[in-house]
Amino acid sequence: MAKKKNEITLRPHVYDGIQEYDQHLPNWWLFTLYAAIAFSVVYWFFYFQSNVGQSDVQRLEAELVRIETVKLSSSIDVSNNDLFWQMASNPDFVDAGKQAFQTNCVQCHGADLKGGIGENLIDNQWKHGHYPADIYHTIYDGVKGTGMQAWGNQLGQKSITELVAYILSHHGDRASMESQATVKTD
Amino acid sequence: MSTQAVTVEYNDRIVRQFMLASIFWGIIGMAAGVLVASQLSWFQMNFETSWLSFGRLRPLHTNAAIFAFVGNMMFAGIYYSTQRLCKCRVASDTLSNIHFWGWQLIIVAAAITLPLGFTQGKEYAELIWPIDIAVAGIWLVFAANFFWTLGIRREPSLYVAIWFYIATIVTITMLYVVNNLAWPTNLFHSYSIYGGVQDALVQWWYGHNAVAFFLTTPILGIMYYFIPKAAGRPVYSYRLSVIHFWSLVFIYIWAGPHHLLNTALPGWLQALGMIFSLMLWAPSWGGMLNGLLTLRGAWDRLRTDPVVKFLAAGVTFYGMATFEGPLMSIKAVNSLSHYTDWTIGHVHGGTLGWNGFMAAGMFYWLAGRLWKSRHTTDDDPKYAGMSCQGLWSPALANMHFWVGLVGILLYVAAMWVGGIGSGIMYNATKDGGTLLAYPNFVEVLNSGLVKYAYIFRTIGGFLYLAGFGMLAVNIIMTVRKGIAVNGTIEVPTEDHSTQGRFSSFLNAPVLYCVSLILTACLWLLGEGFVMLVGMFGVILTTLMAIIHFEVSGAKWSVWYDKLIEHSFGFTVLTILAAAIGGAVQIIPTIVVQRAQNLEGRIQIEYTPLELAGRDIYVSEGCYNCHSQMIRTMVPDVMRYGGEHGYSRLGESIYDHPFQWGSKRTGPDLAREGGPIVDGYQYMRIGLRDNIWHYRHFLNPRDLETGSNMPMYPWLAQQKYSKSELPIKINAMRKLGVPYPLDYGETEIYHQVHIQSQEIATDIFFRELKDANPDWTDEQAMARAAELAPDLQDKKIVALIAYVQKLGAYRMKDEPAQTPGLNPPTDLAAEHGMGDDA
Repeated sequence: MAKKKNEITLRPHVYDGIQEYDQHLPNWWLFTLYAAIAFSVVYWFFYFQSNVGQSDVQRLEAELVRIETVKLSSSIDVSNNDLFWQMASNPDFVDAGKQAFQTNCVQCHGADLKGGIGENLIDNQWKHGHYPADIYHTIYDGVKGTGMQAWGNQLGQKSITELVAYILSHHGDRASMESQATVKTD
Repeated sequence: MSTQAVTVEYNDRIVRQFMLASIFWGIIGMAAGVLVASQLSWFQMNFETSWLSFGRLRPLHTNAAIFAFVGNMMFAGIYYSTQRLCKCRVASDTLSNIHFWGWQLIIVAAAITLPLGFTQGKEYAELIWPIDIAVAGIWLVFAANFFWTLGIRREPSLYVAIWFYIATIVTITMLYVVNNLAWPTNLFHSYSIYGGVQDALVQWWYGHNAVAFFLTTPILGIMYYFIPKAAGRPVYSYRLSVIHFWSLVFIYIWAGPHHLLNTALPGWLQALGMIFSLMLWAPSWGGMLNGLLTLRGAWDRLRTDPVVKFLAAGVTFYGMATFEGPLMSIKAVNSLSHYTDWTIGHVHGGTLGWNGFMAAGMFYWLAGRLWKSRHTTDDDPKYAGMSCQGLWSPALANMHFWVGLVGILLYVAAMWVGGIGSGIMYNATKDGGTLLAYPNFVEVLNSGLVKYAYIFRTIGGFLYLAGFGMLAVNIIMTVRKGIAVNGTIEVPTEDHSTQGRFSSFLNAPVLYCVSLILTACLWLLGEGFVMLVGMFGVILTTLMAIIHFEVSGAKWSVWYDKLIEHSFGFTVLTILAAAIGGAVQIIPTIVVQRAQNLEGRIQIEYTPLELAGRDIYVSEGCYNCHSQMIRTMVPDVMRYGGEHGYSRLGESIYDHPFQWGSKRTGPDLAREGGPIVDGYQYMRIGLRDNIWHYRHFLNPRDLETGSNMPMYPWLAQQKYSKSELPIKINAMRKLGVPYPLDYGETEIYHQVHIQSQEIATDIFFRELKDANPDWTDEQAMARAAELAPDLQDKKIVALIAYVQKLGAYRMKDEPAQTPGLNPPTDLAAEHGMGDDA
């Protein structure tokens, strides 16, 4: 107790030639220790005892609702076939659709759209409907029980409409496609 | 005191053996590491060979690095320093030899079984149950030898290094045994007795604390011996040793859940994992400070002495890793870093930087002392300003230092760039947060960021291995040029005083600590009145301790000086400090988180074929790259959640072992599966159909350009073991999976037959239709049914069945009707049942 402040003591005991000082703990080190403990107490209280902090699930669900709101407020009428044909004649839409197709679709449908693991998209034989709105839904929701996954959450509405425009652009004009389309069954 | 003295000869032979073993296995483990690193850049490095594939070799690499390299290094350091700190020869040469040869046998057994696909499927606990028992047995031999040595020591007081060794031995025993409890189904296979969330919690309690008590505390002990020795300086602060030792031992154990942040693990456990990781920062840095500040007054040695260079750099890396760890444990940071290569970089900063450099420093210091040069080296200018007299080439050691350092820095920096970069890309959204910016997983993997990070990682790892090769050469030459010698010490002949074993640990400081911890637990976990009692208890205890401390400050150190003369009391207190965290977290989870207590979603049990597939999934080590856990984060839900959202606790509750994973080199698979297809009895199809999976297993790049997944041709050639399924189903039932009791061999074999036939037929049907577009469906179906028997008993079919089942659940209040578990009564006669593969 009679030690002077900041005096460094060398402990008398020697272990195999090793000695030990008995320095004071560095203040900044003590501060980090106490700060971490204080933070932990506050954190625990905030989330688990005060009912102020949101749980992960609450936060996630609020965020998902917000995202849905954004989606709904910017969505278009995807049942409007006229709109899709209009897009198919717009090079900006078709180009964007081509890019999306090359990133996501070529592995199964082929770069030439003639199919592979997936269906042929230019032979005008359609399993799930030949109207642009049908094609849109096939991409958006996928086809259960096949390799066609639901792309809606990954690509979103805009990108899928562009994909539809790109596919339609391979089918010439609307009148001949609609008149010659056949239903394909497995 | 008698003036007569005798000479005690230390058993340094055992130190030499462990040291050479560590170097040997170190090279093997690091070489395996370089190989698996290259496999991520070039899939061809898997050689289409089962026992060289990433999923099987990565566990070999981690186990070799931890248990073979660091394990043997730790034993060398402990045997060397403990004998000297106790002033006596190790208690039993026989136990030492059993320890050495037993440990090497275990490593050999691991090196054979892991590449063959025999695994428990839990990270760093992959070794199969017979090897686990051997590990536990040898560990106890080591413990007995160590504590026996403490018992006969001539030095009454325990030096801080010994405290850390004690913590290592008792805690690893507890961790290893609890985590590896399993139900064997045959000599090579078992199921963890824990399932789902329980298994996740126990596994990471173990996994995290294997890092703490296998890779940290023993190395800290080694640091406390070898740094003052090499530097010739006293340890910086004794009281810092005391504070950081106890806080480290107490706090470390609680931090395990930080490996499971933002998952389905209950929120309170995640929070504990996070806050205890933050509180761990200062205690860890206490160790670093004591190591680095011991060098005060000897910093000039950093220029001249390769030993000091390695030790100082090692401790610096320890400081870096223990800062990075708490940072990554913050939930928000973890949402970015988890499942990415940042974690891999972090752990290599620890093993290569901290463990590897401490090992090198220690080996260079030991070499000339364990193998004395035939010539006197005292005046040799080669060793001026060095503490490694007798080492063959200090220049080569310096070279090792720089090559190794560049190697680690390249490695860690590459993983920061690749890990943080890919984490940002995976979590990035666009269009007002409604869409993922990079929806295609492989797109991120193939981005320049990740691609080049992987290549630089391989280069960094190779440089580190090359440096370690230099160490091997240096040590071998030292051995060849020197003579093995054992250290000696003169000790007085009179008996050392016997120790009072039980006194002096029931006193004020201990009582304050125990009371503080108990009341804090009440506050933490209690509700209402209990919580208030806990809160006031904490405040009261703290105040009393402070007042007591102010009144009689001097007594505390006197008491502690007494405690460290009593190894038994010290050990008991260490066990208590280390056990509390695990008990508080694990016991409630095991009691409460069971299927019958859960609400909402409950996993549907696996059919026997799916279970066989799951065992193949585990055996091939798929969990090394694929997680099965959709975290409670928007990007995870958007990428993997589909219509079912984030993963709930109950969805994996029957998974023994759990497969949540720790790294996504491939995408998450939690929702890969789907419902049973109309018109089929068991066949499920999920996101992708059977033919996709079939082709993807055989050559992933046919389906995903740029994928780095290995090819699995053997899955289509080897058969799964049908005859073991009744035993496995029974084991599952014993562990609490509710298979019906009347579910016997007949039903099991029948079900396997039908489900595998459905899948194999579906695969051939699609193949035939693709090859012959003009065939009718009936034609193709008939031909497919003919071909199916060749394929349906192959592993690939079982694995596809498993993958297509992933994510299948029912609601708790729905009846538990696992499809097909009650087959029609008349079918036993219908198929050749019991015809085993």
